[in-house]
Amino acid sequence: MEEETKTFKDLEREVVKRGICGKCGGCVCFCSAGELNALEMGENDIPRYINEDSCQKCGICYLICPQTDALDVELQKKLGWGPPIGYYQRITSAQTTDDKIREICTDGGVVTSLLLYLLERNLINGAIVSKKTERFARRATVARTRQELIEAAGSMFSGSLHLEELGGRYTTYTPILSTIKSLEERYLHDIAVVGTPCQINAIRKMQCLGIIPAHLVKYTIGLFCIENFSFDDVAREMLEKKLDINLDEIVKLNIKDDFIITLTKDVTIHVPLEEVHEVARPACLTCRDFSNEYADISVGGLGSPDGHTTVLIRTNVGTSVYDGALRKGYIRERIFEDAEERRVEKTKILAKIVSFARRKKRRSEERLSALARGEGFGRKV
Amino acid sequence: MAGKSEAVLVIGGGIAGIQAALDLGDMGIKVHLVEKKPAIGGRMAQLDKTFPTNDCSICILAPKLADCFRHPNIALHTLSEVKEVTGQIGDFLVRLRRNARFVDEEKCVNCGDCAAKCPVKVPDEFDMGLRRREAIYPYYLQGVPSVMAIDREHCLYLTRDVCRICERFCTREAIDFEQKDTDVMVNVGAIIIATGFDLYDPSGILQYGYKRYRNVITSLEYERLICASGPTGGHLVRPSDNKPAEKIAFVQCVGSRDFKNNRYCSSVCCMHATKEAMLAYEHDPRVKSYIFYMDLRAAGKGFQEYIARGERDYNISYIRGRAAKITEDHDENPIVWYEEAESSKTNKIAVELAVLATSLMPRSDAVDLSEILGVELDEYNFFKTDPLSPLDTTRPGIFACGCCREPTDIPESVAQASGAAARAAEAVSR
Repeated sequence: MEEETKTFKDLEREVVKRGICGKCGGCVCFCSAGELNALEMGENDIPRYINEDSCQKCGICYLICPQTDALDVELQKKLGWGPPIGYYQRITSAQTTDDKIREICTDGGVVTSLLLYLLERNLINGAIVSKKTERFARRATVARTRQELIEAAGSMFSGSLHLEELGGRYTTYTPILSTIKSLEERYLHDIAVVGTPCQINAIRKMQCLGIIPAHLVKYTIGLFCIENFSFDDVAREMLEKKLDINLDEIVKLNIKDDFIITLTKDVTIHVPLEEVHEVARPACLTCRDFSNEYADISVGGLGSPDGHTTVLIRTNVGTSVYDGALRKGYIRERIFEDAEERRVEKTKILAKIVSFARRKKRRSEERLSALARGEGFGRKV
Repeated sequence: MAGKSEAVLVIGGGIAGIQAALDLGDMGIKVHLVEKKPAIGGRMAQLDKTFPTNDCSICILAPKLADCFRHPNIALHTLSEVKEVTGQIGDFLVRLRRNARFVDEEKCVNCGDCAAKCPVKVPDEFDMGLRRREAIYPYYLQGVPSVMAIDREHCLYLTRDVCRICERFCTREAIDFEQKDTDVMVNVGAIIIATGFDLYDPSGILQYGYKRYRNVITSLEYERLICASGPTGGHLVRPSDNKPAEKIAFVQCVGSRDFKNNRYCSSVCCMHATKEAMLAYEHDPRVKSYIFYMDLRAAGKGFQEYIARGERDYNISYIRGRAAKITEDHDENPIVWYEEAESSKTNKIAVELAVLATSLMPRSDAVDLSEILGVELDEYNFFKTDPLSPLDTTRPGIFACGCCREPTDIPESVAQASGAAARAAEAVSR
């Protein structure tokens, strides 16, 4: 008797119930894109069965979950992955050339500019980004125009960008025997996705299998990620008490070396990352990937001066996008005094990224072994 | 040996193989028609129209496909390859490898429920990668036999032991993962090779920018784009921005008559470029086409008149001169640089789409097949034939027709197929 295929039931037991589900939405995304419709994002964005009977027990959701490892070796081989921060071709520091974007972006506005380049050069038809809906809430959306991209600019720290969106949007499926393989089948299938490491990981796993809807994704831009926060009422109260601030006064959140809170009164508070772990989502504490090791391009503020973005160009696809945007004047690189300064600065940036990556991996190991000992997390989310 | 046989093996289910099989079948001779792909039809099925009549290609081909399928004297072996041949004229013993389809041909009704649920997406070979298909798929819409096939390279059950979604949604219970590849022995008196051609990959000619510039495509990609059952539903739009192309350049002899690539003439390109330019004009009379040629070779019945008609009625300019290079402007318009042979002046022209007439090549596995069959190839790897017995290979009882012996257009391939069928019939009746 062959081994039973692992299904969402196993995913529930091994990931969801252990509290290590990253809520990336990969499983729901696939299930809804295939119109199998057995899964949905439930309470607190935890995936769950809509109807267990409609589950085909295909086992694909289990394979593509960032917290399972069946495809890890294959994926790493495909992308030439190596420790500590994955494969990359170049490291740079850059910023947008667009004043409007600079005003509203988190760091150097590179992500928005790269997307704008892709969109305006007809290399994509849309980009999946997250858009602010209220102060700490964000919702995934497909940006198809310059305006929509700019509205979505600025990083996200409440992990509510679901891959689920990609599944729901992917409705151009044409029955094979209809004579019209519509234009959309051919021309709507190029999109870019901006995401956290877990989201990019799920997309890469889907691409490994060659399945919908990840075949639409031509470009992946990954954000550096220590952790995401869920600003529910409990967390807000905890944070407000701890920092003695009113969260409503916050205009911008960023993570570089520490947690940076900019308040309305031009006041900036720096908080050590350890102190905000409590509001981080538990799954994030078991995640091993800081620098978004599987993306085409990884970006973040870490290591760059204000107004600049650190850019890790990983794949050939990433190189073509970055170089294209540079050539067409969408971004410009940080100017150094001389070659020596450039070398020193780049080494510094790299050292910072590696140190954060190591820190995150260590934290993950500690959390996972605590979990194995049966110690739960402080706070259930 | 199994003894003298009056059956004939036809290798290749394109227009040449189909015609040969039909002729033989109608003569009362049993035929085994072997096709490597999941359906017969071959290259002709990929074309939108055919010259010099501009008939819809699949419309004139489809009845022949159906005739082949229903013919009492023709046994169709799709997804099959010839693995071994022993014996001699009048008595060949052939081992065929029948690759598993994983779909029961008797049960499948081609409804497409399986493909609608298959989560895999891979580039579609038939549509020249311009569209994606599923891992369970019909090779093409009008393909015969009209049943699905599972692509073993990409099926998630066959590669990773998950999924099986198609099986659960097939109401006919036609999915059969238990199917195995099997070997079949057939005894025939003669063999006809009709394996067709491969296409030259122009990405090696760097100065034309194929794959680098999105609006530089090949002729066969163009055929799929302009075909009503193609990836754009027959809208001739350029790949970069989905906008209609009104100025089109056709660059001839890409990989042909070229000392660095193939020295021979591909023989069909002057005609198919003219046809493709005519079709563009028929779709949209604003279209202006430029055909860059070295010599216009229109040596077939009604061919020269066809070229004259193109120039007169279809807004086609024939420019004598080989395109030197193609570059691109800011809007991704290809710019063709060329020397006008008449005036010896260099010139350039910006168009919206550039179409490369890529060379017809011998099949990449021609050497393997020639070794299995024990026949010789010529200097280019086409099957070797003699001017005075142009359909006979170097081994008695084995014949060749169509593009496997040299680049040949459809009318000529059909004529050769009938000739090869007659030669084979003669061989088995001895």
